[in-house]
Amino acid sequence: MSTFGQRVLRRKSVIQMDDETGADTGRSELARTIGVFQLTLFGVGATIGTGIFFVLSQAVPVAGPAVIWSFVIAGAVAGLTAVCYAELASAVPVSGSSYSYAYATLGELPAMGVAACLLLEYGVSAAAVAVGWSQYLNELTDNLFGFRLPEQLSNAPEQGGIVNLPAVVLVALCTLLLIRGASESAKVNTVMVLIKICVLIFFVVVGAKGWNTDHFANFAPYGISGITSGAGIIFFSYIGLDAVSTAGEEVKDPHRTMPMAIIGALVIVTGLYIVVTMVAIGAQSASSFKDQEAGLSAILEHIIGASWPGTIVAAGAVISIFSVTLVVIYGQTRILFAMSRDGMIPEVFHRVNPRTMTPVTNTIIVATIIALLAGLIPINFLAEMTSIGTLVAFLVVSIGVIILRRREPDLPRGFKVPGYPVTPILSVLGCLWIIKDLRAVTIWVFLIWTSVVLVWYFVYGMKHSHLGRHEQVGLPHENVPR
Amino acid sequence: MTLVVGAAPEHGGKAALHLAAELARSAGEDVVVASVVPAPWYPSLARVDAEYQSYLVEAADRALAGARAALPSDVPVTTVVQHASSAAEGLLEVADVHDASLVVVGSSSAGVFGHVALGSVSDRLVHSSARPVALAPRGFRARADGRVRRVTAAYGGSEAADDLVIAAARVAGRVGATLRLASFAVRPPSPITAGIGSRGEEPVVQEWIAAIHGHAEDVLADVRRLPEPPLLAASVVGWGPSWQQAIEDVTWDEGDVLVVGSSSSGAIARVFIGSNATKIVRHSPVPVVVVPRDVAAGDVDEVDVTG
Repeated sequence: MSTFGQRVLRRKSVIQMDDETGADTGRSELARTIGVFQLTLFGVGATIGTGIFFVLSQAVPVAGPAVIWSFVIAGAVAGLTAVCYAELASAVPVSGSSYSYAYATLGELPAMGVAACLLLEYGVSAAAVAVGWSQYLNELTDNLFGFRLPEQLSNAPEQGGIVNLPAVVLVALCTLLLIRGASESAKVNTVMVLIKICVLIFFVVVGAKGWNTDHFANFAPYGISGITSGAGIIFFSYIGLDAVSTAGEEVKDPHRTMPMAIIGALVIVTGLYIVVTMVAIGAQSASSFKDQEAGLSAILEHIIGASWPGTIVAAGAVISIFSVTLVVIYGQTRILFAMSRDGMIPEVFHRVNPRTMTPVTNTIIVATIIALLAGLIPINFLAEMTSIGTLVAFLVVSIGVIILRRREPDLPRGFKVPGYPVTPILSVLGCLWIIKDLRAVTIWVFLIWTSVVLVWYFVYGMKHSHLGRHEQVGLPHENVPR
Repeated sequence: MTLVVGAAPEHGGKAALHLAAELARSAGEDVVVASVVPAPWYPSLARVDAEYQSYLVEAADRALAGARAALPSDVPVTTVVQHASSAAEGLLEVADVHDASLVVVGSSSAGVFGHVALGSVSDRLVHSSARPVALAPRGFRARADGRVRRVTAAYGGSEAADDLVIAAARVAGRVGATLRLASFAVRPPSPITAGIGSRGEEPVVQEWIAAIHGHAEDVLADVRRLPEPPLLAASVVGWGPSWQQAIEDVTWDEGDVLVVGSSSSGAIARVFIGSNATKIVRHSPVPVVVVPRDVAAGDVDEVDVTG
C-alpha cells in the first residue's frame, strides 16, 4: 500500500502522458513552423485586450500616476514567469495547461492547487472581461443610439444593480459558439490583434491633445506599497503572455525563439500599456479614474468634447473583447476536460457530443458559473481574484522548474531558462512581492477557495484519480454510454 | 434491378459510364443509358418544332451510341431517349419506369480532376431524388473488369447513420465487397492564445473517437447478423483541421466506393444532402453514393423481418 505522501505526490510519468496524446493518432510530431515574429505577434495578441481597457479605473486610485511603474513591475514578473513556464512546457512533451505540467512534475496535490488557480485565471477572468465588455457596450449604444441599459440591468448588486445583463449575454453567445464547435482561427486572431493595437494607438494619438503635466505632480501618493498594489491589480492585463509558452512544440529553434518572442511581446505590450497610461493620466487627474466606466472611451470624450472618438474606442473594445472571452472560456473548458480525464473531477466534464464533437455539458456548466460571476460580482474583485490566481499558478510553475532540474536533470528540454537558477528564483520572489500587497479580502478569498478545492481533492479526486487506480488515464472505451 | 445513367449530347464525359459499368458488373445488374431532351412545349398542330425535335432526338441517339460504345460488352445495356422539362427530372422519370436501384451521374466539368463536383443536374438529384444517387469523380475511370471491392460508409454515430451502415452492408454483401466504416473528425487546432497548447483539442477528439468506435462496434454486431454479411474491414477515423485533410487522412484504393446518408433535416423520403455530407462528397477521391434516409431505414426493416 502506498503511503499518504506517495499518493498525494504521485506523478503522471512523462512517457505515460506522451502515450495518451501521441498513440495511434499519427500526430506525435508537429511541424515546427512558428518563427520569432509570428510568436511575438501571438504573445501580443494573447495579452493585449484582457485588461488595459478597464484596469486603469481600478489601479490608478491605488497607485496614483506611479501606476506606470506598476506596469513595469507587473510586466517584468510576467516575463520572468513566462520564461519559466516555457521551460516546463518544453520538458513535458504534451499539450496542456500548467495543470498538466504540474501533474507531471510536482504531483497530484500540487496539480490540483494549480488547477484551483487556473479556474481563477480562466473562469474568473472570463467573467471580469465580460463585465468590462458590458461597460463598453453600454458606452457604444449610448453614443450611437442614445440608448443605455438601466443601471439595474448593467451593474452587479454591490454597485446598485440587479444583474449585469450584457455580460451574461456575452457569455451565453460565446457558449453557443463553443458548443457548435467554433474556434478562433489564426486569421481571426490576427485581425483582433490589429483592431486592439489600432484602438490603443488611436487613443494615444487623440488623447495626447489633452496632455497636462500637472496631473503627474503628486506622482506616487501611496509610495512603494501603492505601486505594488497597483501591480497586483494590473497583473490582470498581462495574463495571456504565458500562452506563448504552450506553443513550444511548433516553434522553430525554441532556445532562441522562445525568449526572444516572450521578451519581444513583453516590450511591445508594456510599451503600449505605459504610453496609454501616460496619456490617460495626462488627460485627467488621478482622482477622476475612480469608478469610471469604459475608461478609455470616457477620457477621449472629455478631451475632445465630442462622442465620436469614444465611439471608435468602444467599438474596437466590444469587438476584440468578444474574442478574448471566447478564447478564455474555451481554455477553461479544455482544462476541466483534462482534469476529468484524469479522474480529478466527475466524468460529465469529458463527455463529448458526437455530433458537434465538443464537450457540451462541460461547456454549459462552465458558462453558467462564469455567467453568474459576471452578472453578480463587481469587476474590481473579479480582476483581483484573477490576478492572485495567475500569480500563484506562475509561482508554482517557477518552483516546478527548480524541482524538475534537481529531480530529473537529464530530461531532454526543448528550452532552458537562461540564467538558472536566478531567473526562477526572481520569478518566485516577484510573484510573492506582488501578492503581499493585494487586498486582504482577496488573499482570504483565495485561501478559502484553494482549501475548498483541496478538500474536494481529498474527498473525491484522490479516490477517483485514474493514476491512483492504475488505469490508463482517459475514459475506458468499453464504458462509453450510448 | 437496373442502374440509370445519364448521357448528354454535348457532354463527352465517360466518368459516369465507367462508374455505372463497374457498379453494374459488381451487382450483376443492367444499365439503362438515358439521354434527356427537352419536351415539346405544347402539342402544335402545325408542328412548327418538328425539325428541332428530330434534331434533338438525333443528337441524343448519337450520344447514346457513343455511350454504348464506351461501355464494356460484359454489361447488359439498353438505351432510351426521354423527353422531360429538365435533365434531372428526365433521369428520375426513367429511373421510375425501370424501378432503378441507383441513378448514376458524373461530375461538373468545372470541378477538379479526381474529385466529385456537383453540377446543375447532380446537385438537383442529391437534393431531391427518392433513389440513391451515385456520383463519379471528374475523370473517373474503371478497369475493363473493375469491380467494387470495398464499400466505405461515412459514419457519424447517429441512429440515421446506423441505418445507413446496414444499407451499405447489404449492398457490400451483395456485390462481394468489404465494408468499412469511416468517421471524420474535423477540428481546427486550438488557438495558441488559449494557453493550453495547440493540441488542446486532441483529448476531445480522442474521446470522440473512442465513443464513435464504441457505437461502430454495436452497429457492426448488427451487420454480422445480416443474412449475407460482408467482410468487415477495420473502422477508420480521418482526422484533420479541414474536411479535405480529414478525408485524405484515410487511405483510399481503386475499387472503393464511399456511401453517405442524406441529412436528417430533409424530407423523409428523399435524398437531401446535409452540410457535412456535402463536404465529404466534395472532397471524396472515390465515387460517392448518396442514400436517402428512408431507403436506408427500409433496408433495416427488412433485416428485422428476415433476421
